[in-house]
Amino acid sequence: MRINKSKSITNWGLYPSIKTNEYIPQSIDEYKEAISSSNKLIARGNGRCYGDASFQNDVISTKKWNKFIDFDRDRGFIEVEAGVLLSDILEASVPAGYFITVTPGTKFITVGGAIASDVHGKNHHVDGCFSEHLVYFDLMIESGEIVRCSRNDNPELFWSTIGGMGLTGVILSARFLLKKIETAYIRNEAIQAKNLDEIFKLFEESESWTYTVAWLDCLQKGDSLGKSIMLRGEHATLDEVSENIKKNPLKIKKKPKLNIPFFFPNFALNPLSIKVFNWLYFNKQLKKHVKNYVDYDQFFYPLDMVHNWNRIYGKNGFIQYQFVIPKNNGLEGMREILKTIADSGNGSFLVVLKLFGESNSKAYNSFPQPGYTLALDFKVNKGLKKLIEKLDEIVERNGGRIYRTKDAMSKPSLTNYLKNVDSTKFESIQNERINRFKKQ
Amino acid sequence: MIVLGSNSDISLAFIEKVLKEGQRFPMMYLFTSNVDKTMKLANHIEAKYDQKCEIIEFDLTKKNNYQTIEHIDSDLLFCASGFLGKNTEEGLYDIENTMKIVEINYSKLIFLINFFAKKMEAKGSGTIIALSSVAGERGRQSNFIYGSAKAGFTAYLAGLRNYLFHKKVHVMTVIPGFMDTEMTADIETPKPLTAQPDQAADIIYKAYKKKRNIVYVTFVWWGIMMIIRNIPEFIFKKLKM
Ligand SMILES: Cc1cc2nc3c(=O)[nH]c(=O)nc-3n(C[C@H](O)[C@H](O)[C@H](O)COP(=O)(O)OP(=O)(O)OC[C@H]3O[C@@H](n4cnc5c(N)ncnc54)[C@H](O)[C@@H]3O)c2cc1C
Repeated sequence: MRINKSKSITNWGLYPSIKTNEYIPQSIDEYKEAISSSNKLIARGNGRCYGDASFQNDVISTKKWNKFIDFDRDRGFIEVEAGVLLSDILEASVPAGYFITVTPGTKFITVGGAIASDVHGKNHHVDGCFSEHLVYFDLMIESGEIVRCSRNDNPELFWSTIGGMGLTGVILSARFLLKKIETAYIRNEAIQAKNLDEIFKLFEESESWTYTVAWLDCLQKGDSLGKSIMLRGEHATLDEVSENIKKNPLKIKKKPKLNIPFFFPNFALNPLSIKVFNWLYFNKQLKKHVKNYVDYDQFFYPLDMVHNWNRIYGKNGFIQYQFVIPKNNGLEGMREILKTIADSGNGSFLVVLKLFGESNSKAYNSFPQPGYTLALDFKVNKGLKKLIEKLDEIVERNGGRIYRTKDAMSKPSLTNYLKNVDSTKFESIQNERINRFKKQ
Repeated sequence: MIVLGSNSDISLAFIEKVLKEGQRFPMMYLFTSNVDKTMKLANHIEAKYDQKCEIIEFDLTKKNNYQTIEHIDSDLLFCASGFLGKNTEEGLYDIENTMKIVEINYSKLIFLINFFAKKMEAKGSGTIIALSSVAGERGRQSNFIYGSAKAGFTAYLAGLRNYLFHKKVHVMTVIPGFMDTEMTADIETPKPLTAQPDQAADIIYKAYKKKRNIVYVTFVWWGIMMIIRNIPEFIFKKLKM
């Protein structure tokens, strides 16, 4: 089996970075061998979690475990190995008239990662998390045994693995249901909101839309606090698209990929450049309310169009701070958090706001809870730790929690919500960090 | 499409590239000496690309029955069949090793390619893409058994290209340098000289569409081999390469 010894790795936030032995198994036997030859290890997919969730001195990579097993083109069931990327699935499924029912904001994650984080998308209030559409998965546990897990077979292991951050074993493959689509296009509406009150109202009004999300300008203060653009969308039907699209409704045009070939120097990102970015972003849309049709890549994965965009934060990297706070505290809590950020001047390029719907109580390790969730990028610098402490305090006071797959430095009490995942072998550096706190 | 050496990483990458570009075939014939491993691959291709596959067990080191493959016919043949074996230091005087290297990389392999070349010649159309190696460009002390088989194979392909050109069949020789594949998994290869299978597949695909004759997978190799080929023999023999 290939083992890359003491390889330096980072996840998407480029912070922190560690040296690891990377096992890359290509057969069941090699998976067993990797697990038995290590005392402590964690599964790693495509490293798109931001922080240290898929870090350990030994990691077991699913990179080469990337084959399709079955695709039922009549009913939309698909079965793949855990290292298959969502982008691979879309390549095969969209031409066949199917879309991934729940997808995060990047298609470059693995199916194993999607289950381990139980990812959510812009349609959480309608379709729930990724696990909602799972039929079963195969999990390799400490002993090297493979256990099939579903709602009926080994349900305890099924539910603890969902959102379980790799702490129960290695997911080897999974079967899940795709969503039928008529076209590869989205009917899209973009609406400007002047401030928090307006955007919250828009969310309430848009509950019948399948996909909703808002981009915020987080440097605004006072009356403009929460200035944002809401994006909402539906899969376009064949009837409604233009004649041009009708000719080839399930195909989209290839777009040239931009690339950020090197790290931006440290000074490139400062409050001023963020202001300029946000100004450009918010003003490219002149009208208050825009309606149009865009392809699924533009709607779901705008960030994927720029390869290595994480490098604009420079070598020191960045963190993503994503929390949820319950709906009844939503407005006030959110106002306080945004105010704290604006006052700190520590702006963020990427601020995404979303209203979660009801969560599945059976998937007890999933992050989403009914309420508002905000995700922000912060460049790692001296003042960041202080800011995060302040934000953590507000989130805690409002009864919220932090998304573990993005956590790198938050207060452990906000991230220790996982249950029934104790294993002596499968252990991430993130989990050790959180557990140290628990024992204190 | 006919694939010889189906379990090689480059084969899979090239198959996927062709299918991603939208081409489909009445059947994809996967030649292999390891059916178990190829089964997974065939399944993958069928599930992902809706492309039917037939697995053909064919071990070049054993007695080959050409009747079992009489039904097979296609306009595209991709050959990544190859066997590194023990290199000269350990395997030079090992008969079995030597035989196996020569059979898989050259002698038995060209029978198989001839078998399909004949069909293409009869039809007056088709493309043969075959991987040879930089090792065949000049005999070096480290692995010249393998290198000599590849040298023979490169010469065979050049001749075949010349012959079939007049019959409207195209033959393309691919010369990969170091590749990041299973074959080289345990060897430390210098990063800038090492190509990933899908990078290689992209290059091969482009060359195939342009009907190129000889393709070096990483361009630097063209330069390196140019130098290695041109070192005078009286110096070369003193080197430890
Ligand atoms: C631009 C961007 C946008 C994003 N948007 C969203 C979003 O909208 N919603 C959302 O929910 N998330 C979002 N994410 C986060 C991302 O979806 C998750 O972090 C996802 O888990 C990453 O998957 P991965 O394959 O890269 O896994 P990794 O990052 O390698 O690992 C993530 C976790 O999964 C575990 N894991 C991975 N593979 C396996 C396996 N085979 N078996 C067991 N455990 C495994 C790891 O141990 C680790 O705990 C986004 C990330 C990026 C970079």
